Amino acid sequence: MVELSEPFLELSGITKRFGSFVAVDDVNLEITEGEFFTLVGPSGSGKTTMIRMLVGMDQPSDGEMRLQGRVMNDLPANKRPTCMVFQSLALFPHKSVGENIEFSMKIAGKDKAKRRARVDQLMEQLRLPLSYYDKSVTQCSGGERQRIALARALAFDPQILFFDEPLSALDFRLRKALEKELKDIHRETGKTFVYITHSLEEAMVMSDRIAIMRKGRIVQVGTPHEIYNTPKNKFVAQFMGEVNTLSVEKAGENTLKVTGFDEIFTVTNDLSDFTTGFLIIRPEVMKIGKSAAGMKNKIKGITFNDYALGSRVQYQIRIDHFDEPWLVERLQDEPYEGRRGDTVDIGWRPEDSILVSS
Amino acid sequence: MAKPSQSDKISWLKQPGVLAALPASLFLIIGFAGPLLLVVGYSFMPSKTFSLLQAPTFENYTSIISDSYYISFFWSLAMALTTVVLLFIICYPIAYGMARLFNRWANLVTALIAIPILISENIRLFGWVLILLKNGIFDGSMQSLFDMSISGLLFTVPAIILGLVYVYLPFTLFPLVIGISMVPEALKEAASDLGATRWQIFREIELPLSMPGLMIGGILTFVLVLGSLAEAKILGGQAIVMIADDIESSFTFAQNWPKGSALSVLLIALSGTIVFFLFKRVDLDRVIGRR
Amino acid sequence: MATSRSQGLSRRLIILWTTLVIVFLYAPMVAVVLASFSKQRYFKFPIQSWTDKWYQKAFSSLSVRELLWTSLSVAALVTIISVVLAFLGALAFARYDWKGRKLYQRLILLPIFFPQAVLGLAMLLWFSAIGVTTSWQTAVFAHLVWITPIVILIMSIQVYSFDPALEEAAYDLGATRWQVLTEITLPILSPGIISGAIFAFLLSWGNFPLSLFTTGADQTIPEWLYAKMVSGYTPMVPTLGSLTLSSAAVFLLTAYIIWLAISARRRRMENR
Repeated sequence: MVELSEPFLELSGITKRFGSFVAVDDVNLEITEGEFFTLVGPSGSGKTTMIRMLVGMDQPSDGEMRLQGRVMNDLPANKRPTCMVFQSLALFPHKSVGENIEFSMKIAGKDKAKRRARVDQLMEQLRLPLSYYDKSVTQCSGGERQRIALARALAFDPQILFFDEPLSALDFRLRKALEKELKDIHRETGKTFVYITHSLEEAMVMSDRIAIMRKGRIVQVGTPHEIYNTPKNKFVAQFMGEVNTLSVEKAGENTLKVTGFDEIFTVTNDLSDFTTGFLIIRPEVMKIGKSAAGMKNKIKGITFNDYALGSRVQYQIRIDHFDEPWLVERLQDEPYEGRRGDTVDIGWRPEDSILVSS
Repeated sequence: MAKPSQSDKISWLKQPGVLAALPASLFLIIGFAGPLLLVVGYSFMPSKTFSLLQAPTFENYTSIISDSYYISFFWSLAMALTTVVLLFIICYPIAYGMARLFNRWANLVTALIAIPILISENIRLFGWVLILLKNGIFDGSMQSLFDMSISGLLFTVPAIILGLVYVYLPFTLFPLVIGISMVPEALKEAASDLGATRWQIFREIELPLSMPGLMIGGILTFVLVLGSLAEAKILGGQAIVMIADDIESSFTFAQNWPKGSALSVLLIALSGTIVFFLFKRVDLDRVIGRR
Repeated sequence: MATSRSQGLSRRLIILWTTLVIVFLYAPMVAVVLASFSKQRYFKFPIQSWTDKWYQKAFSSLSVRELLWTSLSVAALVTIISVVLAFLGALAFARYDWKGRKLYQRLILLPIFFPQAVLGLAMLLWFSAIGVTTSWQTAVFAHLVWITPIVILIMSIQVYSFDPALEEAAYDLGATRWQVLTEITLPILSPGIISGAIFAFLLSWGNFPLSLFTTGADQTIPEWLYAKMVSGYTPMVPTLGSLTLSSAAVFLLTAYIIWLAISARRRRMENR
């Protein structure tokens, strides 16, 4: 019987030490064939070290990497069926666009006609004008260079395509456009993409699954929806952006008391195993003013700042004894009707908060 | 099982940097360090002998003072200092131009100034002989134009200084250019914005920041002039004797290898101390790599 | 800041000064060329009668041909060997990070600061100590000691700006170590390698102090020029001097033309 449950790429106990510093600490992951998997983490989290080991530029100190069941640890980078798009893109400046793209085929000894055909095909797929074949890569725009780097990697026909934060140096508009393009290419080619970035927002747009890394360890793995709605801990919840965080302890069957203060809030979570932790409420689920009137969880505060964030407005409310201002976000066409300095009610529904124990 | 220190050494050896460094390093150990050690060894041998297998002695070093070799040291140091000072004055405006003003022309100027280095200094110094000679280009032009004879220019100390300034100009200029270009224009503008005068900007910003380049240029020129020979001989004749000249005649004319070695060791020690001082103060990666 | 009028004045002064200095640099070489055309045996200016008989003599002289051959062989060998040693040395200097690199950088540059005459004499001692008779081959060795560090310096300037990710990318795309070297590393570093080679050749071609002590019975052109200059002057001195000058000029001009051709080709590629 053929074992179909074998994961495509399997990492067990991967660890990397530099002297006494542990950059990657006992990472276990399973990546399915054809998925868009992203490793997200702040700088220093170990994600770059991780990807360099996967590509073969570095050796793990411990652990095993298996591709389709076959151990990859000792396979040198140029023998692995994987390919990477570098952060700096690493396009060969002394070669033309076409020569860059066909590089892996030339190395493998494929004849000129085959190479040319494949390059033309890839250039069309990535919407690069065919006339660019002889153009010098140094003359191309940022977006074009990204696509050339991608075409070069695809020409290698790898089983897994790795991406080392290729979009981080681009401006917002270009990044957004390329994010969508990358997702389209992923769908078209059906290849497994493993992507690393420090921006959770970027990961959410493109990925099938995300793994959050922190200080060398995997903190949570899940779909974008899972990461967003059920973060495992405060770090993951706060990684997305600004959130309202309260340190809480169990008060009753479904109530929590704010540690050190008197406020009691209601939640819909099961508190049977809960003692202390954090209550996290995203600014966009908060209600303010009239709409807060009927909320189960409510507090009074004074509005003191507001910021326009494009399609939303963010209000900062100062609550009596809390150090951090409370954040509320409203859609731009439903702003808060009061003025700065007003005393106001803000609240949220018990089912809209997130509870974590660490 | 191998001792940890041994496998550490082997893994150090396997680094690509070390492997790449080996050929040139080994070559220089044989070709540079070897001869130097030999010279040091000979310097402690009895005078006018040719074998290394004798009881060491200090007589060569003591005789340097008693036989007034220190005079040549003095002259060499004086020449070196004079040349460096003159060259700083001559080169600074040019270096400033190359780093800030010339733009597209800077490459051409660089090439024009660099090319003479590649041509034998003998030929170039000889050209000066032709110019300064009695009935030479300068004297001859004076005679035919103004009916004046200006001889006696050659074989004087000023002629030597002229030759030294001439030959070693690029060695001061290029490090100076690098030094000046290391000063970001924005810093000078900020200082001006904060009320500094031209002179204050120079003193507080430009001078300190271009120091690495200035030091390299100054020390390189100083050390090279210290050990120079051809200029003094070709343009100066017997006017003064540089230390390298004394070393050469000890080895060849006087057939006194130990004496020549002792003089060499002193010269090397002097130059070496200055260069060592330079290397301690300058970050080579920053200057050469512009990082 | 200075007013733009005084800025313009100092700018013009600097340009004037630079031009004067450049004229100053080339004046003696012009003098040498002039002298080679003078008919008189002893140099006297202004030149009364012009001739090219000294050049005829030079081209037909056997000893001149021998000198040429010696100088050329030494320079050629020095160029080839130093480029190979220096290429690796420059990679160690500027590209790879390794323990001991800072010390290596300082030590490898030491010979540049060294008085050449003393180095030449030390090498003479060395050769006699190990029992090798000096000839043009030992001169090659001596030249290399001084010239290799200089070439390392020149190549390092370019190696510093080399992006290691380019080699990694090529490797990732399936290239062997050798293919990475020939397809990526060498082509990109070629300008630095060629500049280094040019410097090596010309510095060896024109070198005097090292050759003086290490060529033994053989003689290079600079040695001959010096010997004749201090005793036994003949108009052959400026003649041979100008020939050396012009050959160096031709060499550099050829390199420049080749460089222009390569950049033109590259520009054509970019404008497609």
